[in-house]
Amino acid sequence: MKRYTTGSLALLTAGLVALAGCGRASDGGAAEAPKDVDTSAAATGTLSVWAMGTEGEALASFAKQFETANPGIKVTVTPVGWDVAHDKITASIAGRSTPDVSMIGSTWMGELAKSGAVDPTPGNVIDKAAFFPSAWGTVEVDGTAYGVPWYVETRVLYYRKDLADKAGVAPPATWDETKTFVKALQKAGAEQGMQLNYTVGSWQEILPLVWQQGGSITGADGKWTFDTPELVKALEVQRSYFEEGLASNKVDPASFPASFFKGDVGAYYSGPWMIAGMEKDGGPGFAEKFGVAPYPKGSASGTSFIGGSDLVVFKDSANRDAAWKFVRWLSEPATQAKWYSAVKALPSVQAAWELPEVSADERVAVFGEQLKDAKTPPPFPTWDQISKAIDQEVEKVALGKTSPKDAAKAIQAQADAVGTGL
Amino acid sequence: MVTGRMRGRVRVRTAVLYTALTVGLVAVAGPFLWTVLGSFKPDAEIRRDPPTFLPAEWIGGNYAALFERMDVVTVTINSVVVASVVVASNLLFCSLVAYALTKLDFAGGRLVFGLVLLQMMVPGIVLLIPQFVTIASLNLADTYAGIVLPGLVTPLGVFMMRQFMADIPDELVQAARVDGSGEFRIFFQIVMPLCKPVLATLGLITFMGSWNAFLWPAVVAQHKEMYTLPVALASLSGRDSVHYGMLLAGVVVVITPVLLLFVALQRYFVQGVATAGLK
Repeated sequence: MKRYTTGSLALLTAGLVALAGCGRASDGGAAEAPKDVDTSAAATGTLSVWAMGTEGEALASFAKQFETANPGIKVTVTPVGWDVAHDKITASIAGRSTPDVSMIGSTWMGELAKSGAVDPTPGNVIDKAAFFPSAWGTVEVDGTAYGVPWYVETRVLYYRKDLADKAGVAPPATWDETKTFVKALQKAGAEQGMQLNYTVGSWQEILPLVWQQGGSITGADGKWTFDTPELVKALEVQRSYFEEGLASNKVDPASFPASFFKGDVGAYYSGPWMIAGMEKDGGPGFAEKFGVAPYPKGSASGTSFIGGSDLVVFKDSANRDAAWKFVRWLSEPATQAKWYSAVKALPSVQAAWELPEVSADERVAVFGEQLKDAKTPPPFPTWDQISKAIDQEVEKVALGKTSPKDAAKAIQAQADAVGTGL
Repeated sequence: MVTGRMRGRVRVRTAVLYTALTVGLVAVAGPFLWTVLGSFKPDAEIRRDPPTFLPAEWIGGNYAALFERMDVVTVTINSVVVASVVVASNLLFCSLVAYALTKLDFAGGRLVFGLVLLQMMVPGIVLLIPQFVTIASLNLADTYAGIVLPGLVTPLGVFMMRQFMADIPDELVQAARVDGSGEFRIFFQIVMPLCKPVLATLGLITFMGSWNAFLWPAVVAQHKEMYTLPVALASLSGRDSVHYGMLLAGVVVVITPVLLLFVALQRYFVQGVATAGLK
């Protein structure tokens, strides 16, 4: 009985130590210097890698090429559902049972860097200059990079080419032209004109409008700035589409994308994955009926949102050198181009865009162009909460339950309450 | 005349009853049926507006894709192993606790029951990280033991068994004691046989809970060979694109065993719910 008690005490202590472990970063974190990787030998041993969704499924067979090039290595890929990925990674950090390498959502970096569990990127194997600067922004926290951008996605304008041709209009270049364009599509038969997102994830459509006016959601002091004329204006612009009947605020989410195929919706903003979706589900000949165009410009620029996924190496990895070599291999231009062919994930490495696998499709080239002007929200650990607050207020504005001014104030109040988490 | 009117009234009542039952049936079984039918439709048809009910053309491709992209046999075995262990241990341990709480007179019995009730009020999600840290420091992450351990005894099970056993007359237990029977013999040969309906209910509830459990097995299992059915299924859906037909096929694979079990145990289940005081 005595022994049993001692045993459970030891267990409890072990648990507490592990818990304390996840808090260790608050003292180190940002200031820590990356350690170089020994590149003299080939990668050996075993690597466990987590990846989500399609990537998780495709990476296992894709990684065989790395195994062939490095005969001493065995890569085990575990596909993880997106729904559970965030919880699973944070739990594994708390339990100190992390994999060697993991794919992460690009907006999680702040939180993970703060946990102290991810390894700063060693400069001798990864060249920052090879990536799109906007993509690199998703891995940098307080001046230190943790991991690398793996692939990117950005938003552009999708529109019904056949309706635009019928109305004799070209894709818009400015905010003002966008309205004329949508009105023309409506006349040509698109009842809804344009579909705008005003529910979950609507921050991804509102932030570009802020950036396009030269605005920012963080100030020079590193604090959130939401109660700005730019955000008020962005909300007003989106609301005007609903008020003028150019977009509907009673959209049944299940009706999309069928509504675009039918021609009820004339245009919308979305990411590169929709190309395949449109071509596959739109029915015969639909591939010719839609086009993509860069974001229309506001008073300052045509900045879009950049998202995607990053790769991180965990500090607890028993095979750190091999882990970074695997990450380096995944960010080589040739690998990135092949990866694009496999799962249609846009390369985060600029040189890969010159390769034929990527440059062949002119619709994809529009995304490449847009990537040169795209931004990501700052990688602050609290971003998840802030984004939800924005979504809620955007929906209230769209439904006419609050004014843009009050919404901006409400977002600011919530952001002040939550802080940046740094 | 009187009987005729009564018969007429009965007929109206029957008609109303059946109409209500039919509406209920359609509401409950409709989505089910749509899922099964949808698993035989191509994706473009699933997304079609207006939707179709019967597939315009029946295809088996969704099941083929599911079996190709997911190791259905392995994950089904995992699910069966996990669910069987959880059900068996819940039936045994919850009953043992309930027996002690109702038929044995010991100091602190009420306190123990209070603690059990208290646990029912703690939301499971709160326990996720502490439980995982414990499991990981026991080196049980990525094992069957790690997946089943936190679910071996559930407070709800203890509560259900206690409510049922409280109604079994103490005289029965005392008579057996007078005849010289030990506590385990009383438990296994007298009390447990009387508990069949509630055991069936508890078995079904824990089976469904364990079979459908998602978050915990998803966090503990770290290789796809350890995944249970719902976890493997969830790993198939991408963030931006979903192969609906294949997911529906997966859902059919997941719910079929539960459905069969429910049909088999339905009689006990209804009886158990009625008698366990969970009305």
